[in-house]
Amino acid sequence: MAAERSNVSSDLIWQLTRNQNAYLVKRNSGGGVQLSRDPLNVLNKHSFKYAGYSNTKAVGVQAAENGGIVAITKKPGTAQKPAQSLATVAYGPSASNRKVYKGVADRTAKHSYRADLREEAVARVSALRRAQKTKKDTPARKPRGAQARKAAEQESA
Amino acid sequence: MASRPTVSIASAEGKPTGATAPLPAVFTAPIRPDIVQQVHTGLAKNKRQPYAVSEKAGEQTSAESWGTGRAVARIPRVSGGGTHRAGQAAFGNQCRSGRMFAPTKVWRKWHQKVNQGQRRFATASALAASSVPSLLFARGHRIGNVAEVPLVVDSKTFENAAITKTKAAVALLQAVGAGQELVKVSKSRKLRAGKGKLRNRRFRQRRGPLVVYNPETDGKELVRAFRNIPGVETSSVFALNLLQLAPGGHLGRFIVWTSSAFEALDTVYGTTTTPSALKKDFLLPSNLVANADLARLINSSEIQSVLRAPKGEARTKRANVQKKNPLRNKQVMLRLNPYAAAFSKEKLGQKTVDGGKPEAPSAAFINTLYEE
Repeated sequence: MAAERSNVSSDLIWQLTRNQNAYLVKRNSGGGVQLSRDPLNVLNKHSFKYAGYSNTKAVGVQAAENGGIVAITKKPGTAQKPAQSLATVAYGPSASNRKVYKGVADRTAKHSYRADLREEAVARVSALRRAQKTKKDTPARKPRGAQARKAAEQESA
Repeated sequence: MASRPTVSIASAEGKPTGATAPLPAVFTAPIRPDIVQQVHTGLAKNKRQPYAVSEKAGEQTSAESWGTGRAVARIPRVSGGGTHRAGQAAFGNQCRSGRMFAPTKVWRKWHQKVNQGQRRFATASALAASSVPSLLFARGHRIGNVAEVPLVVDSKTFENAAITKTKAAVALLQAVGAGQELVKVSKSRKLRAGKGKLRNRRFRQRRGPLVVYNPETDGKELVRAFRNIPGVETSSVFALNLLQLAPGGHLGRFIVWTSSAFEALDTVYGTTTTPSALKKDFLLPSNLVANADLARLINSSEIQSVLRAPKGEARTKRANVQKKNPLRNKQVMLRLNPYAAAFSKEKLGQKTVDGGKPEAPSAAFINTLYEE
């Protein structure tokens, strides 16, 4: 919200943009779901509570390219200065999950920031961490039945 | 508003010059998407050119109906013989080579008159929206690196036709943080679907920043410098156009102001109390609500002090919960029967009646009983 503008507020911005905005994704599937591409939206859900662009305080959790996690928060009072309005903290790929959870939870909920988003923010970290794990290869199939017998014969021969 | 907010002026290198400009009053105009959208739909129609099918198309035959009795439909039929066309139905919109249904006419109402007051209101509203970063983000502008919105660049940059080359103009936009925006626009260029490709609208692309200048001090050379950058448009501050300020009727166009254009805004639009110097009979529209922040209004002590206390209990009853057996669940039992606590504490349930043997009835009682 632009604090210095008497004609603008988060509620107004939401009402102006809730029908149409650059982040909104409308799909007919899932009963017409409305999702959001906003990087400051922890649930990717199109609603005022999670809309990062319209709230003064918002939290974003993204996967970093190096396999880590980046947590972004908006600095209240810098609404008119986009270049200064984000605070970013990066967690490397080797940071332990607990440490990242703790950091994200603290940044979300402490100092009366956005305690209502803590659970979702931590859940998002967890989901990203699980997605970042490299998949194990499926083990080679053991021969069964006739193939197994054949293989055993060859080995003994 | 106690003090008027100021906006810092950026140099050509994107650094703050230290100079500031007071925020023109037009930026505090009410933001009204309904008015902007309505005016936009009207104004967007005013660039149309008439088109129509030929008056004669489908009517250039001397067909006449054969009337009843020939076991064919009564549609007009082409007269004569010796060609396949003879005897074929004509004129009707259902006929091959007939006229179209409701042929288009060049005298269709192509243009819309939009009231001047509404046009001015919409322009003021779109300008106010252009100073809200959230709305710019919501419109899709990439302004994450922009130091401040509204973005004002010192007019010294443009003095004496300093920026005449597109290269310099691109460098300027990149310096002030609009580089991502330019990338977005040039990446968005796509081949248009449909016939528009043949009609000089081959590509479609996003809109980039709008550069607003003051032709009196900045000169007009910068127009040529900026005009070949994809998505970038220029406009004189004295001739701002709603179609550029709110493309598609969507509020929040990213505007790069020259400082002299920014300072001219107060003379162009005036304030809510002093009329505009350049527009006849125009005062800026005022906000109906002095404070747009709903949450602050609701939580203000003025409102809260006159509200009655909420009705009902502080504890809300949960619906659709499983019924608990009070004989097994002590808490449920206590809710139903507060005496149960004392009853179990005193172990009244386990106590025997320790009154000894009952006293024998008195002789008088016995006598009365047997009526002796």
